[in-house]
Amino acid sequence: MADTDSFLHLARPLGPVAVGTAPTTAPLNVVIQPQALFSILDHSLRRNADQERVIGTLLGTRSEDGTEVEIRSTFAVGHTETTDQVEVDMEYQKQMLALHLKANPKEVLVGWYATASELNTFSALIQNFYSGQGDGTWPHPAVHLTVSTEAGKDIETRAYISAPVGVTAERAADSAAFIPVPYEIRYGEAEKSGLEAIASARDAEERAANIFTDIEALERAIEDVLGMIDRVSRYVESVIDEEAPASTAMGQFLLNTLALAPKVEPADIERDFNNHIQDVLVVSYLANTIRTQMELSNRLATAQLTLGGESGNAESGGQRGGQRGGKGGRGGQQRQERSGEEARA
Amino acid sequence: MAEKEVPLTAVKVEALVVMKIIKHGSQAFPTTATGAIVGMDVGGTLEITNSFPFPVVEMPAESHFDNAAPNPAAAAPRAKANAAYEAEMVRMLREVNVDANSVGWYTSANMGNFVNMNVIENQFFYQKEMNERTVALVHDVSRSAQGSLSLRAFRLSPKFMAAFKENKFTSEELQKSNLRYQDILVELPVEIHNSHLITSFIHQLQSPSQAAPTDLPASLAALESSPFAKSSVLAPNYDNLSLSIDPFLEKNCDLLLDSIEVHHTETNNFQYYQRSLAREQAKITAWQNKRKTENASRAALKQPLLPEDEWQRLFKLPQEPSRLDSMLNSRQVEQYARQVDSFVSATTGKMFAVKGNLLPGEVAK
Repeated sequence: MADTDSFLHLARPLGPVAVGTAPTTAPLNVVIQPQALFSILDHSLRRNADQERVIGTLLGTRSEDGTEVEIRSTFAVGHTETTDQVEVDMEYQKQMLALHLKANPKEVLVGWYATASELNTFSALIQNFYSGQGDGTWPHPAVHLTVSTEAGKDIETRAYISAPVGVTAERAADSAAFIPVPYEIRYGEAEKSGLEAIASARDAEERAANIFTDIEALERAIEDVLGMIDRVSRYVESVIDEEAPASTAMGQFLLNTLALAPKVEPADIERDFNNHIQDVLVVSYLANTIRTQMELSNRLATAQLTLGGESGNAESGGQRGGQRGGKGGRGGQQRQERSGEEARA
Repeated sequence: MAEKEVPLTAVKVEALVVMKIIKHGSQAFPTTATGAIVGMDVGGTLEITNSFPFPVVEMPAESHFDNAAPNPAAAAPRAKANAAYEAEMVRMLREVNVDANSVGWYTSANMGNFVNMNVIENQFFYQKEMNERTVALVHDVSRSAQGSLSLRAFRLSPKFMAAFKENKFTSEELQKSNLRYQDILVELPVEIHNSHLITSFIHQLQSPSQAAPTDLPASLAALESSPFAKSSVLAPNYDNLSLSIDPFLEKNCDLLLDSIEVHHTETNNFQYYQRSLAREQAKITAWQNKRKTENASRAALKQPLLPEDEWQRLFKLPQEPSRLDSMLNSRQVEQYARQVDSFVSATTGKMFAVKGNLLPGEVAK
């Protein structure tokens, strides 16, 4: 993120704990999956015109020792806020939670989000609701995520957990000490290709992108790599010409990278290359042959009546049976070839 | 829907939906994951703005054809319980200003193996019950893992809808309607659309602030741990440059072989039908001839004639097997073949590049 706070996170605050169990003070780490953030941003776009911020529920998983919370999905919860009171649609939250858990039985309630960086009395009130007993995350601390979506400013994400403060029960209900916790945005292999497609639209005027075919994606990747190689060689040249300051570390790094190129005999490469390319092309050829055969067989199957009419049906059927048998035989041959081919590959 | 005349020509998918579908699909992998998509159609473009997964429920095997669904999730979109779930969810989403119109469903696939009865029946269910303007989004988990995202939108063609409604899949009917396997599914171009906030977010996520020129690193370790070395580049995706191709081709070959097997079974079934049909017809002709000679002799003897159309009661022609399965199978094979093609085209390029790199002298040749 553009604005990452650096803070030392030694121990998390004491949360509300059950009597008799030792309070845990192990650090807590929050992992956010991109789709959760995306849906928060989407919700923020869909807020009512008069609303400053919107809130919603965070769902995800908690590691067994409770030191890592992974936020996987979210849903929006309606609420209204005036200067002196806040109303959260609890009924909606409960129903939605039940619906969500039906489809995602592995996810649990982990906290809530708001789309403004501000923390106020209402935040504390809502936080206490989410971390409370019964419907809340108790005995685990509820995670509060703020994602600022103010126009003209960077999107700022912060994660908090809270500790109870207040001398009397009434005061404790609407106050909480929010303590920032570190978070990271993590995405898996599967999401990478999706993010790529989304990111490719980032510079487009209409904020839209088509999905690339394999070869287009390859072209782009290669162009990018070529660009990087150009940059590096420009840098190296300018160092040689003594225009740019030299750096031992940089030189060492580049040398290490160059050393990654494998040393192989040209003859080996030639042989492996030819073998492999032939395999690949044969598979492609066979796949297309199969496709053509299928199409032919389908055409023959539906075209038979035009050949002989009603009375010639039986005869032409017999003939076609022969044809088909021949085709089946060919198919068998193909298959043998293919399995041999696979064994080689 | 007021503007029903404008046919759907394109599908615009929000980034949020893309991510949600990917998440659901990869979590459920290798089983099929299905869910509903909501949005609205503007002119000829269907905008998909949100999605939610379907819960997996057991469903009674009371489908159109008597094929028991081996995977309950694959059949989920047309299960009764899920229709209620979807209605409920849509109602809830409407309260928080989401475009709450059901516009179809999504499914995950593995190596393009999505052309099957389940998908057809689901989409039929949607196109019949809801309205004409629904699509099926297919996310191919395995292909997306190979590099570029594979997300496609399909609809059933009107021709196929008509045929499927009346279950007319005999060769005679197919000939009349001229329905070919290429006509089953109509693919719509998919476009990914980002909201302003997401655009801004992606920009932030990508670049560590490059405002000031950075100092040269002091040591190798410093270089490797600097934020620039760690910053992840989202696009383009360098996974595309990976050379491991055998697993992909192998899997594809396996699937193709399976399809050939299915094709064989179908062909055999059809041949069997034709043989029995020929046999029955031979019997009928024999019977008719016999009746004719009998009638001729009766006419000679001035006896009342026996009716000549009694054979319709005596013999029963065998039922022609439905051609639907073999059509779907053909479509599936086409899908695989195209997949292999596009993969091979990218791979050969990569391989020549590698060769050119390792043997610099031989490129000119």
